[in-house]
Amino acid sequence: MEDSATLAADPAMALKRAQQGKSYWRRVWERLREDKVTLAVIAVLGMLLIMVVFAPWFTIHDPYAGSVLRRLKPVGTPGHWLGTDEVGRDLWSRMLYGGRLSLLAGVAPVFLALLIGGFLGILAGYAGGLLNSAVMRLTDVLYAFPSILLAIAITGILGAGLQNTILALTISFIPPIIRISESVTTQVRHLDFVEAARASGARRLTIMRYHILSNVLGPILVYATSLISICIILAAGLSFLGLGVTPPSAEWGLMLNNLRQGIWASPLVAALPGVMIFITSMCFNLMSDGLRQAMDVRL
Amino acid sequence: MWAFTLRRLLYAVPVLLGVSMLVFALIHLAPGDVVDILVPPEVPKEIADSLRQRFHLDEQLYVQYVAWLGRLMVGDFGVSFFTGRPVAEELFGALGNTLVLALPAAVLGFLLGIALGALAAYNHGTWLDKLFSATAIIGVSLPHYWVGIVLVAIFAVVLNLLPAQGMGFEGLPTSWEHVQHLVLPVVTLSLIPMGVISRLVRANVLEILSQEFVGTLHAKGLFSRRVLYHTLKNAAPSALALMGLQFGYLLGGSILVETVFNWPGSGGLMNLAIFRRDVPVLSATIVVLAAIFVVINILVDVLQALLDPRMRR
Amino acid sequence: MHSSWTRRASVPVAATLALGLAPGSALAGGTLRIAMTASDVPTTTGAPDNGYEGVRFLGYPVFEGLVLWDLKSADKLADIRPGLAERWEQDAADKTKWVFYLRKGVKFHDGSEFNADAAIWNLDRYYKKDAKQFDPPGGAVAQARNPFVAAYRKIDDYTIEITNPRPLSYFPNMLPYMLYSSPAQFEKTGSWAEFAKAPSGTGPFKITEFKPRVSVTLSRNEDYWDKAKVPKLDKMVLFPMPEPTTRLAALRSGQVDWIEVPPPDAVPSLKNAGFEIVTGSYPHVWPWMLNLAKEDSPWKDVRVRRAINYCLNRDGLVTLLNGLAEPSVGAFKPGDAQFGKPKEHYGYDPTKGKALLKEAGFGPDKPVKAKVMISTSGSGQMLPLPMNEFLQQNLKECGFDISFEVVEWGTMLVALRNAPTAPQALGSDAMNISLPPSTDISQLALYFLSTNAAPKGRNWANWKNEEFDKVIDRIEKSSDPAEILKDTQRAHEIIVDEAPWAFIVHDRNPRAMTKKVKGFVSAQSWFQDFTSVDME
Repeated sequence: MEDSATLAADPAMALKRAQQGKSYWRRVWERLREDKVTLAVIAVLGMLLIMVVFAPWFTIHDPYAGSVLRRLKPVGTPGHWLGTDEVGRDLWSRMLYGGRLSLLAGVAPVFLALLIGGFLGILAGYAGGLLNSAVMRLTDVLYAFPSILLAIAITGILGAGLQNTILALTISFIPPIIRISESVTTQVRHLDFVEAARASGARRLTIMRYHILSNVLGPILVYATSLISICIILAAGLSFLGLGVTPPSAEWGLMLNNLRQGIWASPLVAALPGVMIFITSMCFNLMSDGLRQAMDVRL
Repeated sequence: MWAFTLRRLLYAVPVLLGVSMLVFALIHLAPGDVVDILVPPEVPKEIADSLRQRFHLDEQLYVQYVAWLGRLMVGDFGVSFFTGRPVAEELFGALGNTLVLALPAAVLGFLLGIALGALAAYNHGTWLDKLFSATAIIGVSLPHYWVGIVLVAIFAVVLNLLPAQGMGFEGLPTSWEHVQHLVLPVVTLSLIPMGVISRLVRANVLEILSQEFVGTLHAKGLFSRRVLYHTLKNAAPSALALMGLQFGYLLGGSILVETVFNWPGSGGLMNLAIFRRDVPVLSATIVVLAAIFVVINILVDVLQALLDPRMRR
Repeated sequence: MHSSWTRRASVPVAATLALGLAPGSALAGGTLRIAMTASDVPTTTGAPDNGYEGVRFLGYPVFEGLVLWDLKSADKLADIRPGLAERWEQDAADKTKWVFYLRKGVKFHDGSEFNADAAIWNLDRYYKKDAKQFDPPGGAVAQARNPFVAAYRKIDDYTIEITNPRPLSYFPNMLPYMLYSSPAQFEKTGSWAEFAKAPSGTGPFKITEFKPRVSVTLSRNEDYWDKAKVPKLDKMVLFPMPEPTTRLAALRSGQVDWIEVPPPDAVPSLKNAGFEIVTGSYPHVWPWMLNLAKEDSPWKDVRVRRAINYCLNRDGLVTLLNGLAEPSVGAFKPGDAQFGKPKEHYGYDPTKGKALLKEAGFGPDKPVKAKVMISTSGSGQMLPLPMNEFLQQNLKECGFDISFEVVEWGTMLVALRNAPTAPQALGSDAMNISLPPSTDISQLALYFLSTNAAPKGRNWANWKNEEFDKVIDRIEKSSDPAEILKDTQRAHEIIVDEAPWAFIVHDRNPRAMTKKVKGFVSAQSWFQDFTSVDME
């Protein structure tokens, strides 16, 4: 989970990245283009995204309309090729519509945590001194909870629902992102070229914008993409405990939870949401790996 | 070194205070309190309110917090609102049960992870590397609670080889029957640490192998003790840090797996305490789990510093 | 208990046990392992928590009341029978006074004697706030379940008197909910928390092992006062197992012999695998309580309340539940003596429902909009989410636009205890909560009397009907059983015709067990008798 920290923690790399300047990003792109696995994974995720966003184009059945007469139909039933769920709703429709919330609950917290945590971390790293101490000590308090514990405590107490899920996961991901951003920024700040820029009288904001942001964002971004897979699993896990998205919403974790009791009636159907969570989470992991490799200047 | 350790330990105190405040504030943000759950729906408001007074729930939040903290200072965790049993008794029993799961899961996950990661790196680019790397990425991508359900369905129900749920014993496992209760939850729990450690070890070992002199030795087919020592010494600190974190996750994050296997551990206790709004149990559980997590982090820092003096900041 | 967990492994164990016995003696009753739905072992002090499931398992098997349920028969609604009191009578001159003649020769599990002092001591436990044995949560529950104990006194060593605030003919029906624990054992242990570890009651089973959150073991009480009801079982082990899938796996893998509430979708596969599904049939409504106090409540018009009762596709819902529930068209079941002859015969009749809605000024262009508070889970709630989703679709066809306020069980309980207009109700127009079974008039009075309107009592709907109140008043003052039955029928007719609730289904209390469980009689009650059960 934290292994990408090693990428960020190497000042020599940050320096190299910095020296390479704009050509660095071009090289990253070129390397990415040659990485077939990552490209394939990105294509799969892209396809998934399209199907999920434009779900109505790919489905005929209403994901919320069910009938007791056709409950838990097996995979391959005419008209419902993935079968139906415990209320008789078309599983294919629910899978696609369910992807909307699952992806949202998987990506939104990471994105929000990236915005908030990234901002605070970079600020703390760049400003140093008292501000750094204040931000980092508060982070330590949140960091004292293992992330799932924090997320469960928050949703358990504030109540179930999509908003609380996103809130809880965002809060759990902020501390590690702050830590990474702070440490990368601190390292980059002490590099010669930034010091030089400062000595030459460049305004703080300019330094921030050009040098720090361009050299810091990469590693943080890679780290954040590696969190998406964890976030998808955790969001589904919260639904599994009854603390996540609430019915009748279609969401993979919730579907997994509801279909669990049908495991003996229709095992394949009951397994499908779990498989979707697995595939999506693996795609994000592979994508994150690919990005990291492409951004690793030493190779 | 001692000063470093002491400083880190002292620093844990304000962190834990912050944690306890956060927990207290969170609990009181929630709708409802313990009384609403403690007595059945047919108990009218008036009687429920009298119970509330008895638990001092009608007092100001900070008064409750300070009183709680005061008792905690003298080592008194209080008694559960719900069962009337001492919180310390419930909590440490549950933590013991969680450790019975987490320790073997950590050992299994870490050993497998190191072995798979190192083997993958030494066979970089071969099918073995691909197989092991795939295993690792599957390990971190699977929703483990779902794997638990599938394992129960296969091994407990269909094959009838292993028990489906429960701990089946108290304290430490002493017989084969006891160990059988451990198999499925331990395997389920070890998936994530296995994957995470294996990925890190692979990356680290690859990096060390790419260093020139090691690379040369390796290319010549020489696998000396020096190479091994060098690899270990350089790969150990970050792996250690990660293992510490992962062990913390195993303790705190076992809640999902404990739910699937009906395991009477600390995760289950916390889930129950949240549901019952049992403030004494919930705050003690979270603070103690966080304390353990903090201590593990300190241990890791100290060990890292011992291995690599540059890290003593 | 350390019995093995696989079916295969348990054979040699049983064989060794059998070998140890004299050839002539009947096989010992064995050990019955039950998975409950509770998330923890219910309190073992004689005042069980975890709702009425706690009373079912850690109430009657271990502790008893002055009055008990007669759970012998599967054919009629369970009635009360003498328990720790041999008989009782209402004072003819002052109907607020009841005299209870206690059973002689009853001993607690610790060997101490049950007598009038012990009975009074237990009443103090529940009602006297400054008694040292006062049990705050237990007391709160007892006072709520039986709010009519105004005074009590000892007359002689085996006779006590209890006074009610007003004449109440159905008072004995409320006594089974108050159980008696051993004062001597409390003295010995010093507190209820300690008592819980070594409990002592008068029931057919004794608690011999208690592991919090894991299990509780009950063993046969050889010295039970009712010789006909000494349990056949040696032991009964109870496990809390809140997850339905876990209960199912435990049963199928042979870890337990009996599970409460199997998931409906598992029923066919359980039957195929050779397990028994046992269901009961008794009045236990799973309703929507309609909020009649809210300013803009659509339910204020009785025609809309009747319309929803005609529009509900109860049979469809029962199909969804694989027969683990049965349609409800009133608080009692149509076959019950108390049902009466209401004018409205609810059944799935959308035409009639739509006609009623039209009369009330609603129609296809103007649906009845209502928000129902439903819980994600909870005691007796069955499968609230899929069931309500089904009803939502079903009612849409009729002209009801139903939305949900999905809350946790705890939040719902808070709402229930407050007025339906209070912010805690979150603006809901109805609440889906299954309350304790309405097997007698004492329960109906608690739910529907206008004087019990929430937040004061359990009448969350805030329904008020003068005739109903008068009939109940007459029942309370009467002492003629025939007259009481007639008035109970009248009271029930009013409830059905005025429809303060949408009556949806009755819970059938499903349980699944292995074929090895013998002699279980599913009484028409939420409670069950375990003394007749034995293991093959």
